[in-house]
Amino acid sequence: MATRIITPISQALEEGALSRAELKTFMRRSNRPALIRLALLLAILSTTTVLVWLSKDSMLFFPAMLLQGIVLVHHFSLQHECIHYTAFRTRYLNDIVGNYCALVIMLPHRFFRYEHCDHHTYTQLTGKDPEMIPMPRTLGAYLYYLSSIPYWKAKFSELIRHCLGQLNTTEKRFTPKSEYRTLIIEARAMAAFYIFVLGLCIASDWWAPVWYWWLPVLLGEPVMRAIRMTEHVGRPTTALMKENTRTNITNPVMQFLCWNMNYHAEHHYASSVPFHALPELHKKLSGYVHTEPRGYLGAHMDIIRQLFGNKNGGYSR
Amino acid sequence: MGKQSWQNLIDVADIEKNDATPVQFGQQLLAVYDTVDGYFVSNNRCTHAGANLCDGYFDGKNIECPLHQGLFDARTGVAIAAPATRNLQMIKCRVQHGTLQIYI
Repeated sequence: MATRIITPISQALEEGALSRAELKTFMRRSNRPALIRLALLLAILSTTTVLVWLSKDSMLFFPAMLLQGIVLVHHFSLQHECIHYTAFRTRYLNDIVGNYCALVIMLPHRFFRYEHCDHHTYTQLTGKDPEMIPMPRTLGAYLYYLSSIPYWKAKFSELIRHCLGQLNTTEKRFTPKSEYRTLIIEARAMAAFYIFVLGLCIASDWWAPVWYWWLPVLLGEPVMRAIRMTEHVGRPTTALMKENTRTNITNPVMQFLCWNMNYHAEHHYASSVPFHALPELHKKLSGYVHTEPRGYLGAHMDIIRQLFGNKNGGYSR
Repeated sequence: MGKQSWQNLIDVADIEKNDATPVQFGQQLLAVYDTVDGYFVSNNRCTHAGANLCDGYFDGKNIECPLHQGLFDARTGVAIAAPATRNLQMIKCRVQHGTLQIYI
């Protein structure tokens, strides 16, 4: 039998940061907010797709692809909500939409779910948190991470390994044994889909997926890497949830795109609370979690300050 | 191991309506579910990583682990969504004179 652990939410309840009744209210699920936001996201994506098309013979082609890419890579945020089953009340909708996002950004859905479970169990614990982004030691390492090169190297090697039927020791730790086969099939299905699309491009000399999808994703990924860094990088590598995670106050556009995941500390405290309730949970946990009022830029200033050895302000707010 | 018998657990009036209520019984922390099919009792720990199930989302039929969103049928204890793969240990219960009793 599993040993009892004190989860962040149990701790917050015991410390009176919120009541059980409040938690139950925050946890209420609904399909409506996610369906509306998904429709808006697809409308924005259609708009940026038209912008790419309109600008294809001009100097605005690459900026338009970057814009398209920023929207595309934010499918990660929706997928993240789906792996927690908090985007939609209807559980299977989370699987359907999550798998759509998975194909857009090449992040196998089932695999991400299991990996992310361990991220919540061992948040920011070196050697245990499988999603941990280490604090860069040099400016070069910081910029290299932002380039997304290490990210894509890891993702491609992961996909190839899984297609070959291999899971490494860490992956075997966080995946139930009965699901090893599922992850391998999932990776093979995803690879087959990409190969099919690529084959279609070559056979028909139709390169729209490259210009409207793959290249924009590559251009947009550094933006997602920059955002992902703000969640934990530069925070103490400790199990204390009050310390190890950063909430970023950001503008409504980014908040929309990231499905309120800027309220990251609140999400880690109560991962069963859906995205649409996070702003209210943020108000409730005000002062209880670490908040960066200057947003993503402030978080990066914090990281860079620590990078150059001045840790003042890094952990103290 | 002693002989099993019916023991008082909690007054029905104290059970959270349409929700999961944590109840300490000796050394054990139990979960009482007010489901669409009546009351059910299980161990309160998630069989995956030991989180307190009563802090999770409950829809009247299924209880979701608050840490990893694994899912159990609160009426049978069956683990219906990974990462939970082992069933919950259910405890037989009944209502007698306004008190929920468990057979333990």
